[in-house]
Amino acid sequence: MEIFWLDFMQRAWLAGFFMAVLCPVIGCFLVLRHQSMIGDGLGHIAFAGVAGGALLGFQPVLSAAAATVLGALLIEKVRAKMRDYSDLILALFFYAGMGLAVVFTSLNRGGGVSLSSVLFGSLMTISTLDLYIVGALGLFVIAFVALLYRPLQYLAFDEVSARVAGLPTVSLNLWLSVLTALTVALSMRIVGILLVAAMMVVPVACSLLVARSFSGTLLGAVCFGLFSVAAGMFLSYYANLAPGGTIVLTGVACFLLCLALRLARGAR
Amino acid sequence: MDTIRLENLGFNYGDGWIFRHLSLTVPAGDFAAVIGANGVGKSTLLRMVARILAPTEGKVFLYGTEVSHFRDWGRLGYVPQNPARRQRSFPISVEEVVQLGRWDGRGLFHRFDRQDREAVEATLARFELRDLRHRKVGELSGGQQQRVFLARAMVNDPELLLLDEPATGIDADAKEALYRMLADLNGRGKTIVMVSHDLEMAARYAKTAICLDDGGLCFFGPIREGLHHRHKHGYFFGGSRMG
Repeated sequence: MEIFWLDFMQRAWLAGFFMAVLCPVIGCFLVLRHQSMIGDGLGHIAFAGVAGGALLGFQPVLSAAAATVLGALLIEKVRAKMRDYSDLILALFFYAGMGLAVVFTSLNRGGGVSLSSVLFGSLMTISTLDLYIVGALGLFVIAFVALLYRPLQYLAFDEVSARVAGLPTVSLNLWLSVLTALTVALSMRIVGILLVAAMMVVPVACSLLVARSFSGTLLGAVCFGLFSVAAGMFLSYYANLAPGGTIVLTGVACFLLCLALRLARGAR
Repeated sequence: MDTIRLENLGFNYGDGWIFRHLSLTVPAGDFAAVIGANGVGKSTLLRMVARILAPTEGKVFLYGTEVSHFRDWGRLGYVPQNPARRQRSFPISVEEVVQLGRWDGRGLFHRFDRQDREAVEATLARFELRDLRHRKVGELSGGQQQRVFLARAMVNDPELLLLDEPATGIDADAKEALYRMLADLNGRGKTIVMVSHDLEMAARYAKTAICLDDGGLCFFGPIREGLHHRHKHGYFFGGSRMG
């Protein structure tokens, strides 16, 4: 079973499993706050960060991280003022990100960094340093959620009552935004924006179809994430397919299967 | 001792005053119903007491402390307009909702311990929710959901209970049961302030009326006197123009 012994595959497995835990854990709180598209949208803002960094001569990962954190904080600030327009606010920021990226790229006549190398990483090309970055980020996010699980649950379910309970809802929202932004900015170069954004949403969507509690949804999302990565990696390796896309499609297939089972159960 | 004191309170959403110069005091042990027609600021008033909204002018005091400096949130239980109705598909069980109440006033890093587990168990039993503990809240009836949110507010045994239209969307039997439960809590010494559309129920169970109309506070006092005042002056009361 060379799929387990090859050096690059071992790193891919480890990074895949880190992503399978990290992304659904943070994604659970985003999906339940109707912010499913934020991972994808922050990717657009990161695009502007990379292009802007290349133009001004900054290290692209750092400029992407700075742009996404700033973008996420601004989105949260505006969302707090205009709660009924969450999706509109996300869309405005994403288009602004894309617009900036295109303008920065056109201004950068000297060429510079390859955008695709920063935005569209692959599980199969991960270095040991990348693995450390994803691992450290994953541990930090899991520690954050483990420590603040109930306050975050309170915030997602009933933000107004959480505020009356005396919880610092503004700071919690900002921290969640910063962690989402860092997850997107640091992971997209390593595994690709498609995998990061999709893993924040697809396993949670599967879990929502079967779970009856918040803790069940969170655990279920991690299980669906791990299954999608494992099955997707096998499929992509033996069928010679792109791993990120195969993992995402495996997750979507899980969702369709769960939906069919639920509909069948409801019909009986 | 005064539980709530409002001093010259006014609120403006930016397009005119909802009310101004509103001053009153709710003593400990009272059961006050905030009543009036739609749009006169009943929920706005309650939200300012709960620090969800900041007053445009004037001050709110809770137990003698100005609300922006008040930190003892465990003394207060809040039942919002039903959040489960807004998020019917939200995956949270009855037990998890009641557990959330243990974070009221305890801060971010409170660890859920044996005392918390015992308080949750006792509250589930008291509000007859044990058999429903693993059910998803959004799948329960309106009356059952309201019982869950009341249980969440009561799990810390607070002294003051604020309720924002708790009987909206529930059937007559569930409404009667809810008001009886509130009267029982009031009988055990809890102070209750409740926004209500149901004049008949409020008149039957509450002690004090805080009545608002387009001009602000139009009556504050014993609810039976309020009913007499209503007949005499014919102001908006309970959602319809009474004569």
